[in-house]
Amino acid sequence: MSTEGRILGIGPTDNTSDQRTPRERLRLIPAAARESFVPVVPARFRASPHEWDMTRTAPDRPRAQGVPIEVTGTVRTQSGAPVRHALLEVWSANHFGRYRHIEDQSGLELDDNHLGMGRVFTDADGAYRFWAISPGAYLARPDIGRWRPKHIHLSVSGGASRLITQMYFPDEPNNAADPMAILMGDAFSRNVGKPRDVGGADVEEAYDFDIVVGGRNATFFE
Amino acid sequence: MSPDAKNALPATNEDTCGPYFPIYFREPALEDLTRVDAGVVGQASGTPIVLRGRVLDRHGDLAHGAILELWQANAKGVYRTPAHGDDADIDPWFDGFGRLRTASGAYEFRTIMPGAAAGRAPNITVTIFSDGISRIVTQLFFEGQGANATDPVLLAVGDDAPRLIARHDGRTANGAEVYLFDIVMAGDGETPFFDDLES
Ligand SMILES: [Fe+3]
Repeated sequence: MSTEGRILGIGPTDNTSDQRTPRERLRLIPAAARESFVPVVPARFRASPHEWDMTRTAPDRPRAQGVPIEVTGTVRTQSGAPVRHALLEVWSANHFGRYRHIEDQSGLELDDNHLGMGRVFTDADGAYRFWAISPGAYLARPDIGRWRPKHIHLSVSGGASRLITQMYFPDEPNNAADPMAILMGDAFSRNVGKPRDVGGADVEEAYDFDIVVGGRNATFFE
Repeated sequence: MSPDAKNALPATNEDTCGPYFPIYFREPALEDLTRVDAGVVGQASGTPIVLRGRVLDRHGDLAHGAILELWQANAKGVYRTPAHGDDADIDPWFDGFGRLRTASGAYEFRTIMPGAAAGRAPNITVTIFSDGISRIVTQLFFEGQGANATDPVLLAVGDDAPRLIARHDGRTANGAEVYLFDIVMAGDGETPFFDDLES
């Protein structure tokens, strides 16, 4: 049991992190208020049945450019309980490092067969699966030549579990200098997908990425 | 940490949502908590309010692209949690959960004034995600509520309590009283944030 809240780290070479990271030590939640800090996400989110396959914009469309991959894993709490029927919102850049987002002004190439956004749900065992295009790295700080390594954004909402994270790829040259990876230190390896055999899947690479939702919120109603 | 900390699985690190959280994932019904779905007859009980404000960075600039999530009790002070599933005071037309992504850094939710749970003043838990940070959490209160004087969260932050109190604007929007609450992510006038991973 901690007696002090954390001081949040500021990502080195990350201007936005410098502008937006609280400087004061986080306050501890008084015990009498603890339960009120545990949001329960209503089971009201929806997904289209084809959204698990982000290598295409729709089932009748050709594959996007780049390397199709499969990502599978489970979502669990720290006590090991599966987070069932949770929503995973997934988004990533295309093969060229460009997001199909109105605020991405990088000028990198768009691919008409790539949306880069999809939603899937975990099953009764907390397991999930999706296909995506292996995302390109992109130059985040042209002035100092600092790249964002390849990554897939994942948002988990289910019951009292709430997590936004990223899956990184093993042995990428840009991993070491990434501000978020630096803040994670040795724990960065938890956020790296583990390569595995593709099995029978119609993809070129496959990764396991097991997600553990930390903190007391996730286990409050177990 | 979970109570059984020594056997706990190591948690996946939280990470920034980056600047490009998809607008595609937006759900308008989560920006108006008084309605469960557009076009469905059924409305949350209680006094409708509009909660309006800005998310600001260390330089006082708008924090564009931030995601805000709300969590609150219904008008009777009851949260919609698994523990209260059969509670007669659950409002079937109120989930108490809201979410939006602000493109500019300014935000507006429509909701109802939360009731006070035992020993508490009316409050709304606010979770913020944005580029440059991982999840941060705070709790806001309402100007003019007598119970603010004895609320444990406001007492815990001491002299910083005014930074957690939404101001009554005196204006109405579509019949709802407007409350103003700016969130200062860093620097002068920084909003107190809470450590819900460690406490
Ligand atoms: Fe990104």
